Amino acid sequence: MKNLNIINLTKGETFLHQLSGTTKVRLFATLMLYVMMSFDLPIILPLFIFSIIGIISLKPSWKVIKPLVIFVVAINILNVVLYWLANPLCGLEYTGDQTILFAYTDYLVVTKGTLWFLTIRLLKMLTAFSTSLAFIMSITPSELAAGLTSLGFPYKLGSIVEIAFRYIPDISRDYENIAVSMQCRGLELDAKKTKPIERLKQMILILIPLIVTSFDRVGNISNAMDLRGFGKGKKRSYYSEYPERKNDKIFKLIYCLITIFCAYYIISGIITPRDPKMWLYWR
Amino acid sequence: MKKESIGKILLGKWDTRTIVGVAIGIALFAVLMVYGSITVFTNTNLSLAMIVPVIVGGLFGPLPAALACGVGNVLADLIGGWGFWFDWSIGNAVLGFIVGSLKLYGANIDEGVFDVKHIIIYAVTVVVGSIFAFGIITPIFTKIIFGGELKISIAQGWVASVSNIIVLLVAGIPILKALAARNARGRDLTKE
Amino acid sequence: MSKSPIVEFKDFTFRYSTQREPTLKNINLTIYEGEKVLILGPSGCGKSTLANCINGLIPFSYPGEIQGSCKIAGNETSNSSIFNLSAVVGTVLQDSDAQFVGLSVGGDIAYALENDNMPREEMLPRVLNSATLVGMHEFLEHVPYNLSGGQKQRVSLAGIMHDHVKILLFDEPLAALDPQMGNQAIDLIDQIQKNNNCTVIIIEHRLEDVLYRPVDRIILLEDGQIVADMTPNELLCSNIIVEKGIREPLYLQALKMAGCNVTIEDNPCNVFNMNLEKYKDQLISYYSSVDTSKPEEDKEVVLEVKNVDFSYDKFKALDDVSFTINKADKIAIVGKNGAGKSTAAKLICGILRPDKGEVLIDGVNYLNYSIKEIGQRIGYVMQNPNQMLVKDIIKDEVSLGLVLNNKSEAEIEKNIEAALKKCDLWPMRNWPVSVVSYGQRKRVTIASILAMNPEIIILDEPTAGQDYRVYTEIMSFLESLNRDFGITILFITHDMHLAIEYTDRAIVFADGQCIGDDSVFRILSDNDIIEQANLKQTSLYSLATRIGLEPEKFIESFIVAERRKRHEKS
Ligand SMILES: Nc1ncnc2c1ncn2[C@@H]1O[C@H](COP(=O)(O)OP(=O)(O)OP(=O)(O)O)[C@@H](O)[C@H]1O
Ligand SMILES: Nc1ncnc2c1ncn2[C@@H]1O[C@H](COP(=O)(O)OP(=O)(O)OP(=O)(O)O)[C@@H](O)[C@H]1O
Ligand SMILES: [Mg+2]
Ligand SMILES: [Mg+2]
Repeated sequence: MKNLNIINLTKGETFLHQLSGTTKVRLFATLMLYVMMSFDLPIILPLFIFSIIGIISLKPSWKVIKPLVIFVVAINILNVVLYWLANPLCGLEYTGDQTILFAYTDYLVVTKGTLWFLTIRLLKMLTAFSTSLAFIMSITPSELAAGLTSLGFPYKLGSIVEIAFRYIPDISRDYENIAVSMQCRGLELDAKKTKPIERLKQMILILIPLIVTSFDRVGNISNAMDLRGFGKGKKRSYYSEYPERKNDKIFKLIYCLITIFCAYYIISGIITPRDPKMWLYWR
Repeated sequence: MKKESIGKILLGKWDTRTIVGVAIGIALFAVLMVYGSITVFTNTNLSLAMIVPVIVGGLFGPLPAALACGVGNVLADLIGGWGFWFDWSIGNAVLGFIVGSLKLYGANIDEGVFDVKHIIIYAVTVVVGSIFAFGIITPIFTKIIFGGELKISIAQGWVASVSNIIVLLVAGIPILKALAARNARGRDLTKE
Repeated sequence: MSKSPIVEFKDFTFRYSTQREPTLKNINLTIYEGEKVLILGPSGCGKSTLANCINGLIPFSYPGEIQGSCKIAGNETSNSSIFNLSAVVGTVLQDSDAQFVGLSVGGDIAYALENDNMPREEMLPRVLNSATLVGMHEFLEHVPYNLSGGQKQRVSLAGIMHDHVKILLFDEPLAALDPQMGNQAIDLIDQIQKNNNCTVIIIEHRLEDVLYRPVDRIILLEDGQIVADMTPNELLCSNIIVEKGIREPLYLQALKMAGCNVTIEDNPCNVFNMNLEKYKDQLISYYSSVDTSKPEEDKEVVLEVKNVDFSYDKFKALDDVSFTINKADKIAIVGKNGAGKSTAAKLICGILRPDKGEVLIDGVNYLNYSIKEIGQRIGYVMQNPNQMLVKDIIKDEVSLGLVLNNKSEAEIEKNIEAALKKCDLWPMRNWPVSVVSYGQRKRVTIASILAMNPEIIILDEPTAGQDYRVYTEIMSFLESLNRDFGITILFITHDMHLAIEYTDRAIVFADGQCIGDDSVFRILSDNDIIEQANLKQTSLYSLATRIGLEPEKFIESFIVAERRKRHEKS
C-alpha cells in the first residue's frame, strides 16, 4: 500500500480530531469560502497561521507530510514564476502599481505591484492547501459522510464517499495481486525494460481484470446493503458521529460568525466594488 | 429492450447499485491515480484513472459518471494530500459527464454493444469533452477563484486535454471493446 | 405444539432473465420454525439462487421470471419488499469481504441500525451486545483491512443479529476459514440458534465440518431440483451420498473401507456420539494389517528456502523460514488465516524477494532470475480466480501465458487442448469467462497454468468452494501429473481431507514461522502443532482414540489403504 494513508479511518486523539464530523465539515466549508473570496492580506494571513497551528496540533507523521509539502510548495512557486514570465505586469490590474524594481530586458521586469500580487497569490494557494491538509488529517470518512449530510447534501452522497474509502485498500490489493499473477505468466512489468507504448498495453492487460473484479463487487455490495435496509428512510444516523459537545458549540459560534462576515464582505463588495478590485494595498 | 427516455438516461437511476457503482468507480479512480500512471519521457505522466468515468458512464449513465469523475478527483487530491482544487474538479465533472454519455448514443457495454459507429462517436466526445472541460471550464474557474493569468491557465488546460485525449483514445477504446466483448457473447451458450 | 412452517416453496420455478433455462425447477420445500437445515449440492446447481429467493434479492435485485409461490413467514415474497424481508431473514453472503460495508467493525455492525436512523445513544449498547455475542467486542475500532477472513465472518454475523431475525441464512460460511475457525463458526451459529430460537439455513460443501454440531435436515439440490430431503443419519447411510458425489466424512470412509456396514441406528452423523462398539474389532484388525512400509527413494532437491525473512512495511510476515522441496513432492502448506502461507508462495515465485536469507532453485540463488523466468518453472494459481482472468474467452485465457512467452501456434494449440480437457473445460472453451460459476473459473485458472507445463505448481486453496466431484477430478488430475511427469505440487489449503488424501508432506505455518515439516500423518497427530496452527484434529484422530488405537499409526494406515484403493479403481 503506497501513499494512501493521509486520511485516517479511525478517530484520533487530539482536540481537532475529537470534534464532530458536522463541525469539521461546516468549518472547512466556510473557511474555503473565506479563503476564496478575497486577495486581502489581513484576511488571508490569520487563516494561514491558524491552519498551520491546526496541522501541528494534529500531531501528524512528518514523514508522510514532508514530501507532500515540498511538492505543493514547489508546484506553486513554479506556477507563480510561469505567471510572471507570461505577463510581467500581471499585478497591474490588481494593484495599479508599476514601480519597476529590476529590469532584465524590456519585457522581463519585476514591478513592485507584480511582486506583491504574486506573493499574495502564493500565500492564498498555500492557505487553501494548509487548511485542506488540516481538514483531511482530522476527519474520518464516516465523519465526512455525516458532515456532508449536515450541509444538506443527500445522505446517499455521503455513503458514496464512505464506500469509496472502504474499498480503496481492497482494490489496491487486487491491483497488486493481478500484476503479480500476470508477471508470473510472463508479462514483463519492469518500467526500465519496456517502452511506454508496451507499458500501456500491459497496463491494459492488468486494468481489464481490475475493472471487472471491481465492478463485479458492485452486485455483492449492493446486495449486502439492500439486505441490511440501505435506503429505507429519508434520514440515516451515523455510528461514528459523536453528538454535539462543548467544543463543537464553540466552533459553531465561530463558523457562524465567519459565514456572516463572508456574506457581508461579498455583498458589500458587489454593491460598492472595492478599488482596485478586492484589493487592500499599502502604498 | 424498452427504450429508456433521454431524461432518464441523463439522470441515471439512483438505486443502491448505482450508488455502489459510483463509489467503486471513485475508489478505482483513486487507486489508478497512484498506480496507473505511465511515465512518458521523463516527467509527463499519463494517468489511466480517466478511464473510470467512461466505464461508470457506460454502466450507469452520464450523471453518475460526472459524479464519479468529480468526486473521484477531489478524493484523489485528498488522499494525495494536495488539497482541494475546485477548478480542476469541476472540469473533471464536466468531462465525466460528456465522456460518460455512452448510453445516449446507444453504446451499451453491459450488453456488449460497442461497434465502429460508437467508437467514432466516443472519440468525438473525448476530444470535444477534454478541450471543453480543461481548455475552457477549468481556466475560467481558476481565474475566478485564485486569480491569475488566463493565458497560463489555458495553456495548462490544453496540455492536460491533450494527454487526457491520448489516454482515453489509446487505452480507452481497447478496454471498452474488451469489456463489451466479454458481455456480448454471454447469451444462448451451448457446449460443443 | 406442532411446528409452523416459516419457509414454504410450492411448485416454485425461477429463471434469470439472462438465462434461457430456469435455474430453479419446481421446488417444493417447507422449512419449519426453529429447524436447522443444510443445503448441499454441486457448484452451480442453484444453491445461492435458492437462498436469494428466501432473502428477497430475487425478485427485488435480480430480474427474472417466477412461477409458483414462495412464502416467508406466511407472506408471499413477490408481494413483500426487501426491507420487510430483511427484518425476518438475516443473510451472510458467500463473499464475506464484499459484505463488510462499514469502515470499522463497530460501524459495520451498526449498519442496519444506521439505516433505521436509530439515535447513536441507542445504537451503542446494541452494537456492543451483538459484538460480544460473536466475541468481537474488543475489535470495535478495527478497520476491515486488518481483519482475517474469520473475523470478518464474525462481524457479518453480528451485523444481522439486532432484529432477532427469524431466519439466519448462511451461504458457504466456511469456504475461506482455517479448520479451527470453521469449527468456531459452526459453534457460534449453533449457540445463536439456541439463544434466539431462530431457523438456520446453511449452504456448504464441507459436510463433515457442518455436522460438527447437529443439523435437523439435509436438502440435496442438483441441477435446480431437490433430489433428497432427509435427516443427516439417513443421508449418511444411503447410497445417494456416493451417487451424487458428495464427500463422505473421513471417519465414515474409514469405517466403510474396513468393511463395516453402518446403519442409521448407529447415529453416524457425529464421530463422538456414534455407536462404535460393534465395529471396534473389525476396525482394529483391518487397520493393523495394512502394510505401511515404503520403499526408500532418493530425492532430488529442486527448491531450497533458507532462513528467509520477509516484511510488508513494518509487519514481519515471514520469520526465519526454511524448508526444501524435492522433485515430485506433493506438499500441503497449512496453517491459520494470516499465518503467511500466501506470502511464502509469492516468495517462492519471486514476486516477493526475501529481506534476509536466500531461495535456491536447482542450487542457484534465484535473485539471478527474473519473475518471468521463474514463472516458466514455477506456476502459481491464486486464491481468487477473478484476479487472474484477463481475457474474455476461456480458450484465450488459457493460451495467454504461452502467447506472452512467444510459443509457436502448434505448441499452443496442443498444450491448451490437453489442459482444457484435463480440467473438463473443453466443451466450454469458447464461452466467455464471465458466465461460468466461481468453481469453473477456478478451473480455468488452473488450466491456464497447466498449459505452461511448469515443473512446480503452487495452488492457493485449489478446492475452496468446490463441490466434491470437481474437487476429485482436479485432484486426481494433479496427482496424475505428479505421478506421470514428476511435477512437484504444493497445495496451500485449509482442507485436512485434501492434505490426507493427496499429499505426503505437510509444512505448517503459524504467525510467520514454519513450525512443522513432516509427513502428514505425523503432523495431524501432533497436538502441539495442531493447536499452534489453528488446525484441528481430524475425525480419524477421534475415531482412533475412541477405539483405542494409536492415532499416528491409524492415520498412516488409513492413508495407505485409501490410496491403494483409489489406485486400484483408476
Ligand atoms: N445473476 C445471475 N444471472 C444469470 N445467471 C445466474 C446468475 N447467478 C447465477 N446464475 C446461474 O445460475 C446457476 C446457479 O448459480 P448459483 O450461484 O445459484 O450456484 P451455486 O449452487 O450457489 O454454486 P456455488 O456452489 O458455485 O456457489 C449457475 O449456472 C449460474 O450460471
Ligand atoms: N500486501 C500486503 N501488505 C501488507 N500486509 C500484508 C499484505 N499481504 C498480506 N499481508 C499480511 O501478512 C500476513 C500474512 O498474510 P498471508 O496472505 O500470507 O496469509 P495466509 O496464511 O495466506 O492466510 P489465509 O489463509 O487467510 O489466506 C497477514 O497478517 C496479512 O494481513
Ligand atoms: Mg453459491
Ligand atoms: Mg492465503
